[in-house]
Amino acid sequence: MNGPALTTAPGAILTAGDRAHHRIAWISTVDHKRIGILYLLTGLFFFVVGGVEALFIRLQLAVPNNTLLRPDTYNQLFTMHGTTMIFLVAMPLLFGLANYILPLQIGARDMAFPRLNAFSFWMVPLGGILLHFSMLDGGAPAVGWFAYAPLSETPYSSQPGVDYWALALLVLGIGSVGTSINIIVTVLCLRAPGMTLRRLPLYTWINFVNSFLVIIALPVLNAGLAMLLIDRRLHAHFFLPSGGGSPIMWQHIFWAFGHPEVYILALPAFGIVSEIIPVFSRKPIFGYEFVAGSTVAIAILSFGVWGHHMFTVGLGHTMDLFFAAASLLIAIPTGVKVLNWSTTLVGGRIRLSTAMLFCLAFLVHFLCGGLTGVTHAVVPLDWQTKNSYYLVAHFHFVAVGAIVFAILAGVYYWFPKISGRMLSERIGKWTFWLMVIGFNLTFIVQHFLGLAGMPRRVYTYPDLPGWGWMNMISTIGAFFMAAAALLLVWNLLVTLWRGPAAGNNPWNAWTLEWASTSPPPHENFHELPPIHSRRPLWDDANPDHPDPVVGGDEVVSPVTEKCKVGILAFIASESAFFGVLILAFLYFNATPGSGPGPKDLNLVKTGMFSLCLFASSFTLWRTEISQQRNHRRAMLGWLGATILLGGIFIVGQGLEYGGLLRGGVNISTNLFATTFFTLTGFHGLHVCLGLVALLVVLGLALAGDLDAGRSVVLEVVGLYWHFVDVVWVLVFTVVYIFPLLR
Amino acid sequence: MTTEQFLISGWTWNPLLLVASVAALAGSRLAFRQAGRFRYFAASVGVILLALISPLHTLANGYLFSAHMAQHILLLLVAPALALLGLPASFSVSRLFRFLTYPIVGWISGVGAMWFWHVPSLCSAAAISPTMFTVQTISLLSLGSAFWWQVLAPREEHRLPPLAAIVYLFTACTACSALGIIITFAPAGVCPIFMQPVDRLGILPMLREDWGMTMPRDQQIGGLLMWVPMCLIYVTAILAQLTRWYAVPAPALAEKGR
Repeated sequence: MNGPALTTAPGAILTAGDRAHHRIAWISTVDHKRIGILYLLTGLFFFVVGGVEALFIRLQLAVPNNTLLRPDTYNQLFTMHGTTMIFLVAMPLLFGLANYILPLQIGARDMAFPRLNAFSFWMVPLGGILLHFSMLDGGAPAVGWFAYAPLSETPYSSQPGVDYWALALLVLGIGSVGTSINIIVTVLCLRAPGMTLRRLPLYTWINFVNSFLVIIALPVLNAGLAMLLIDRRLHAHFFLPSGGGSPIMWQHIFWAFGHPEVYILALPAFGIVSEIIPVFSRKPIFGYEFVAGSTVAIAILSFGVWGHHMFTVGLGHTMDLFFAAASLLIAIPTGVKVLNWSTTLVGGRIRLSTAMLFCLAFLVHFLCGGLTGVTHAVVPLDWQTKNSYYLVAHFHFVAVGAIVFAILAGVYYWFPKISGRMLSERIGKWTFWLMVIGFNLTFIVQHFLGLAGMPRRVYTYPDLPGWGWMNMISTIGAFFMAAAALLLVWNLLVTLWRGPAAGNNPWNAWTLEWASTSPPPHENFHELPPIHSRRPLWDDANPDHPDPVVGGDEVVSPVTEKCKVGILAFIASESAFFGVLILAFLYFNATPGSGPGPKDLNLVKTGMFSLCLFASSFTLWRTEISQQRNHRRAMLGWLGATILLGGIFIVGQGLEYGGLLRGGVNISTNLFATTFFTLTGFHGLHVCLGLVALLVVLGLALAGDLDAGRSVVLEVVGLYWHFVDVVWVLVFTVVYIFPLLR
Repeated sequence: MTTEQFLISGWTWNPLLLVASVAALAGSRLAFRQAGRFRYFAASVGVILLALISPLHTLANGYLFSAHMAQHILLLLVAPALALLGLPASFSVSRLFRFLTYPIVGWISGVGAMWFWHVPSLCSAAAISPTMFTVQTISLLSLGSAFWWQVLAPREEHRLPPLAAIVYLFTACTACSALGIIITFAPAGVCPIFMQPVDRLGILPMLREDWGMTMPRDQQIGGLLMWVPMCLIYVTAILAQLTRWYAVPAPALAEKGR
């Protein structure tokens, strides 16, 4: 509707069509490009916030026995810095870039679900506000970004800071899952003709694989956060040893999420680098298949190695041994990638643009951070260094030296496409060198501080030989990085104001986003070049010696039912959530405790209500059959029966809860009650949501909308409903039947 | 008894098994002379013998849960996979067993065998009763073959398309890891028979003291074996599928609509 207007005015913030409602044009947008920009701006804003927090931390640690910050203030800043940088900076920046670039790279018009996309984005400001609102309500959380129990429990952190922290992370987690479902469906269903999965640009492929990691890992955290909140607000006993709970369980849940999270941040960074290094080496990536395949290996292995975050907890030699071996293995696929990037450089015509410089620094930092990572897989070394500044240095080499550097490379590389203007290379190089010098000053010495015995997570330290000057160097380095960040913001602003026009393809790159104008029109492309290989623009520019054709052409993507793919991805995500709740139930009820237990449940009564729920799956299946056969009355009948049966189940659950509560059994009674009410309660909640969805379908059916080509609604809600029933089969077995077998 | 003595004397020279192995090897050598990939088949027989006659079997037979788990993995995942790889490319199953070639049947076979045989009473029974053990062994080998058929069937057209195979393998990996996690963290006694082994050979002091295999640790190793190394088998298979996906020439993929 407004494409051409944009192309003539690079960087226009509002198009002609927007002026009529300019006040909400950016708030109400569902365009993936604008949402991408909003993500990036939000990430940048919180980068400044988290950076200032880091500067205060470094100022406090600059000299021994410093009194600039009170211990509690330090702990708050330290917690907020970690949480902000992970959830409000790295995730939004990476999602923002993916949101903007990924649909362009596959020749799509937008993301698969534009409104879900907007919803996912707005979860970020909401989460950010929730997290920071804690400051107005008794102080920010002061328990670290990992919020280890029991410190994070009410007896030890009675202020509501931790509650805000948990709520914020829940909200952010839901947004992340939404975006990732969107990415999966976009890649599977919206690829341009000829863009087969085997021809995907590596950035898109890696984000695609990464999205599976997100939809499975984030719900694990969400389940843990829900338990923590239930502990804190309803006085339950998951992680409090006084009630029989297990603080170690929190660590298991947190790191079962936390380790994949490391790769959720690192993989997209790998993707960025895999795009930029070939372009500025003027060579295709060396070993595309190895980069793509090792990504899958990393993604899967990342779920099996969380134990190495817990060596110092005392898991026992057996566990340590297995996790050490698995952790060492993950070095292989990451090493493969480093070789791929390095070999791409060999023999290339290298152009040292700012983006490329950041990638080269990424390579060096990632190599160092990766090697110190391997030392943490070796258990005895880990015991010595885990709680020292050596570990701080290690993960900042990965999180800043690698991930932030890759994001900056991505910003310099794609900013011309996003804004239509070229960033100043001169300021860019200043930024780069300040950043490299500052980063290495800050973090190299921290390795030695750690080996000299300085513990991490402390607000100050005694004046021991060497500690003072090393910390001072570290603080000075941090201010170099702050200067670099200021220069970056300055560069962005100046460029937006009066940067030179970029043109469609300033870097002579080969992927589809560069085939469109800068910035791309609302609909992204007016026409697409033919796609037969992984570098369509190279083929277009060099018709005499194109890349070899990769695989066969496909006219349309074989997967077209985007709603169905979306709900399946959502179901995968929900499975992870319920998986954690079920495992927690099994763990905490492995040995019968005192007080109320499974013997207080009425197997027969609940069994009857369960039959109703299982029967509703059958009636829903009949509904779909009637719909396919166009038997409208039968369809309405079966649908009504489904809702009725689901309703009976919920009433049954209500009666059971009522009986227990009247008998004095509530969620805080003992560990069994805690796990029972949590597991069945979350299932009941899902049944209720399913009922709402079914009622909406019923409304649509009564209005005759289902016949107008919208029967996919019924199918999608049906899949969800069957899933909820399958979960109940598991829950019923675990809660009601297992105890009988003992 | 010392470890060396045990490693020498702990073999179960089951004549039936040895004769059957030799016959199978000779038979496959003769029957599939041209097309067969004999080395894989021989490796499969080797793995079966390792699981059933070596000291591993003696330990699994009522002494150590972890040895039982190693045996279980060898019989369910390793041996059938190698056997399928050893079949000639023209091999296909008779109509009678076609129902085994549905992906859902394969998945349930592979995952179900893991869960089913770790129901405490069945696990105990299989560890001491020779009849139950025979049933278990045969079921593991055949269910494992049904599982791997989807991925390693000799004919390309019988296999799942590579990306579907990855989903198949990943979900199976998750389902087995979940059981591994449960066993690792469960209180000792998942398989009650291993709580108080009947010390027929007088090796229990060696296991408990020299090897340090206390009962909780034994079960933990068993759970971890299922959780970590077993998952690595699936990961290997997934990587093989990726290799296949990137390697298949265009026409073959076009036929499968991918």
